[in-house]
Amino acid sequence: MPDNWGFVLAAYGLAAVVLVAYWRRLVRRERALPGQSSRSTARRP
Amino acid sequence: MRVVGGVTLVALAAGLVMAFGVAPREMTQGNVQRIMYLHVPSVWVAYLAFAVVLVASIVYLARGLEGADRLAHASAEVGVLFTGLTIATGSIWGKPTWGIWWTWDARLTSVSILFVMYLGYLLLRGMIEDPDQGARYAAVVGIVAAFNIPLVHFSVYWWRTLHQPPSLMKPGPGTMPGVIVAALMVNFVAFSLLYVYFVAKRVRLLRRESEAAA
Repeated sequence: MPDNWGFVLAAYGLAAVVLVAYWRRLVRRERALPGQSSRSTARRP
Repeated sequence: MRVVGGVTLVALAAGLVMAFGVAPREMTQGNVQRIMYLHVPSVWVAYLAFAVVLVASIVYLARGLEGADRLAHASAEVGVLFTGLTIATGSIWGKPTWGIWWTWDARLTSVSILFVMYLGYLLLRGMIEDPDQGARYAAVVGIVAAFNIPLVHFSVYWWRTLHQPPSLMKPGPGTMPGVIVAALMVNFVAFSLLYVYFVAKRVRLLRRESEAAA
């Protein structure tokens, strides 16, 4: 049977995109909460 | 949280090394079988997530703890994410091995129903304005929907399906070579850690959103 690397790449690529997108969504929503952006700015040197 | 995130990243990297560097090329399917190291841990996380929804929903109805409701909400969201991934990766794996992207066989149909039920759970939460009422209704749906989990898992035994029976989560001695089992186990651990990380992050976000709204 041929190896079908394209399908393997598609499956792992899709999973990576979906999981990173979900993580980014959580981070964005957390930063959008009141008081979050000012706190992170204050930590910067 | 950062420590859990870091450990999860290392575990996921180890899972990739096991799946592509250590596990051998499967004799009949070839390298496309490596999708298994993504597909099977995804469905494991979905089962785990919905089992947590069941327990947290029972605790919420019995004790009224807001923390239990937040845990159920977060776990349902992560469970839906991984069920979607399971369906998508299974479909991608199905095309080269079965010759089709999709068929309405017992396993694929039951897992689709599971996906739609928990999607409904999330939509229900968003539709009801009163948070306490929404949490109560969602807890009932979270308990009822969990009855579909054994149906999904045992569907391959109860009906004639195109999908193969479980190779790991079954009683009796295993039939897979040790190196494949080891690669799967590393990915089970990595995906479980990812589940813990996502749920912890989502629970914290739900708590902060609720504090900000109060």
